[in-house]
Amino acid sequence: MTPFEEEVKKALSRHEPPAGFADRVLARAREQDRKQAARTGGWLRRLRSWRLVPVLAALMVMTGGIVYQEHEREARGEAAKQQLLLAMRIAGSKLHDAQLVVREVEQ
Amino acid sequence: MVATVTSCAVPSEGQADLPSFAEAVDAHKAMVFSIGWHFLRDRPAAEELAQEVFLQLYRNWSGMKSRDHVVFWLRKVTSHRAIDVVRRRKMHPEMSLEEAAEPTVLERMQDSLLASYLERMVASLPEKQRMAVVLRYQEDMSPEEIAQVLEMKASSVKTLISRGLELLRAKTSRRLGESDHRIRHDTV
Repeated sequence: MTPFEEEVKKALSRHEPPAGFADRVLARAREQDRKQAARTGGWLRRLRSWRLVPVLAALMVMTGGIVYQEHEREARGEAAKQQLLLAMRIAGSKLHDAQLVVREVEQ
Repeated sequence: MVATVTSCAVPSEGQADLPSFAEAVDAHKAMVFSIGWHFLRDRPAAEELAQEVFLQLYRNWSGMKSRDHVVFWLRKVTSHRAIDVVRRRKMHPEMSLEEAAEPTVLERMQDSLLASYLERMVASLPEKQRMAVVLRYQEDMSPEEIAQVLEMKASSVKTLISRGLELLRAKTSRRLGESDHRIRHDTV
């Protein structure tokens, strides 16, 4: 390091921050924690509020209704499928009977 | 998990080498404040900057791996934030070296005056050059380390420091006169 650089280094020596700096930082950190806790706590308190009960009940009814409708639609679809399969089995059976009659007539 | 002042007192797993947050503030407050002070030349702004840096460290405490990591992180964040402050607030104490106030009374400056004069001259350098000089001579960092902090090439950092020193020397030499041995015998 040259003598001039030594002078620059001396000029740029570290300075202590104003008194109480660390305490102010820690106080702000605690304040940050407190605000964070208040935000979380506030949300939980709102959740527990009685005013939310009707909203939650309405949400549950709506959700239940949607689930029930979906279930009904699936049940109707399943019944229609079973009916179609039965109809096809009956038709197949009738066709088989008809084929047997035709063969007997031909012989 | 959110860190708290209390929870930061005990290093978690993988942070065995770490001090507590309060210890880190105490150990590094002069470093962080001085980078801000030498860069901004404004005590309230330097303190505000240092507080914001430590609060950011507090929020990121769970990501700290070691003491060295904390130091690197603090230098990096302080440098970038200081440059941002100057850019955002247009706080440019960045007068040209010609405009910078000079001591007028004394023919020759005493050591303390020279130091104060150089300090002011450093604060008048362009942003990146100023930060490179501050990190080099305040923090005794190598150009390679400064390059990591400022996210630049080491060769660019060397150029910044060299040009910064040239400017400082030219101005100081003119002020002190050729008779001052500290300047006269100095070569880079």
